[in-house]
Amino acid sequence: MVSRTSWQAYLFIIPFAIFFAIFLGYPFFYALYLSFHKVTDIYDAFNALKFVHLHNYIKLMKDVEFWWSILMSLLYGAITIPLSIFVSLILANLLHRTFSLVKLYRTGFFLPYLLDVFVVAIVWKFLYAHPYGIITQLLQRIGINIPPLLASPKTAMLSVAIAMTLKGCGFGMLLYLAGLQNIPRSLYEAASIDGAPPWKQLFYITLPMLKPITLFMVVTGIIGALSAFAEFYGMTGGGPIIRVGSHILGCTKVAGLYLFRNLESLKLGYAAAISFVLLIIALIISAVSAKLLRVEW
Amino acid sequence: MVNKVKAFIIYFWLTVFLIVVLFPFIWMIITSLKPIGTGLTLTIIPRPPTLSNYKSVLTQYKFGRYFVNSLIVASIGALGATVLCTMAAFAFAKLEFPLKRPLFGMFLSVLMVPGLMFVVPQFAIVYRLGWINTYKAMIIPHLANVFGMFLLVQYMKTIPDELVDAARVDGANNWTIFLKLIVPLSGAMIATVFLLTFQFHWNNFLWQLIVATDEHMYTVPVGLAMFRSAHEELHTLKMAASAISILPITMIFIFAQRYFIEGILRGAIKG
Repeated sequence: MVSRTSWQAYLFIIPFAIFFAIFLGYPFFYALYLSFHKVTDIYDAFNALKFVHLHNYIKLMKDVEFWWSILMSLLYGAITIPLSIFVSLILANLLHRTFSLVKLYRTGFFLPYLLDVFVVAIVWKFLYAHPYGIITQLLQRIGINIPPLLASPKTAMLSVAIAMTLKGCGFGMLLYLAGLQNIPRSLYEAASIDGAPPWKQLFYITLPMLKPITLFMVVTGIIGALSAFAEFYGMTGGGPIIRVGSHILGCTKVAGLYLFRNLESLKLGYAAAISFVLLIIALIISAVSAKLLRVEW
Repeated sequence: MVNKVKAFIIYFWLTVFLIVVLFPFIWMIITSLKPIGTGLTLTIIPRPPTLSNYKSVLTQYKFGRYFVNSLIVASIGALGATVLCTMAAFAFAKLEFPLKRPLFGMFLSVLMVPGLMFVVPQFAIVYRLGWINTYKAMIIPHLANVFGMFLLVQYMKTIPDELVDAARVDGANNWTIFLKLIVPLSGAMIATVFLLTFQFHWNNFLWQLIVATDEHMYTVPVGLAMFRSAHEELHTLKMAASAISILPITMIFIFAQRYFIEGILRGAIKG
């Protein structure tokens, strides 16, 4: 046995570690630092920082627009996550067999997942356009009149969610397909001998065996929903606007969009505080989902 | 007979789903081939089909330049990240050293953090370095690709230690082992990491939107965002620009499908 211990290991790690430290490690703490400060001169934002204790966080707790944006992000997740899981499961089950065209279909379903969210959002906005977009026009021809989907408070969020589910469902399909291939056939054979009907096999074998994948979809889905930005920037810009009490709020103004607007106007301290609260919410929800789905990490 | 009917039903539904999923892209291409000003018509075959939208978008609206910018950022970004990941992964997979586990854990912890978290402080850092409107700003903050390194570590661990030991007995040093043994044996996974990083940069819209404010530095999606707000009504041009933006990833995916799929499956199932 030759010793593999070597100080030279550090030489291989150092280049990676340097860029990690400057652009991923330090920023975490710098964001914490920024969140306790306020920009006093927006023309010299990075030198005119004033320490304001917990001011940003206190303001954040009382900021209706912020909590609304979190709520909208969670609503987005609450629609897209179950919908994606459902569509992915169906696709994976349809594709889980050995016919010659499986690969071709798999390629077609998966490709949109790799494409830029913003560009896909622009294309969907064009499809949804009112009154001349193709969806509106086609439905009109068969006698269905629909409101402007992206501009109506009731349909805006759902429309974005459907578009993004169709774009992203190839990811879940791929994971579930791999999961299905890993379930031992003997389980089904045993169940068949015992006389279990197909639906029982689905609920007592297939779904429980796929649970780790479902958990993964839920957790990454939550992180994704809280980070969502480009689809809303591209399709709705945060609108349409509704009135709730004395507040004017955007029906699709999600946390990512709210953070972007604050960053754009160089409210760095406030934007940093938003980032931290988002992080905490993401961690809590992920932990709770893991508990609920009762899967070991 | 029953099996044939069943197969037909499955094909039928798969085809319906596939058309729904791909419809936006089909319609995008159809629209991009229509003469300017007719983008909202429902004709399926453009009369006559024209490439003038592409020509106009690439030259008059400078998407040619944006495309080159995207290409530079994605290629150099992917190359740099892949080199750094491969080197670090070798140390974690095949060498022993003090603080190995805590270091690895620290790197991986970043994967639990929503990407949006880093945008604000990274912007502040890049701004203070005076990097706004440079390729550096788009590339360097993303050089440490933790996910890519994780994939490579997992892969390199499957290379038998005996091979490394044998090379060492023959007098090879770490650098030789890395270059002559580990890199060639990890070729497929290195390609996967390169492609996934390329795809990441090609789609890194929010970050590029923040750090590229000068027209000459726009990437394709940033250019599209600006074009969209100036010329919302030029649908045929907008769709041509979208098609140009989607083309490279589509081509790469069609030719290198197994690398993408393997990388994503390994990342999700072991991660």
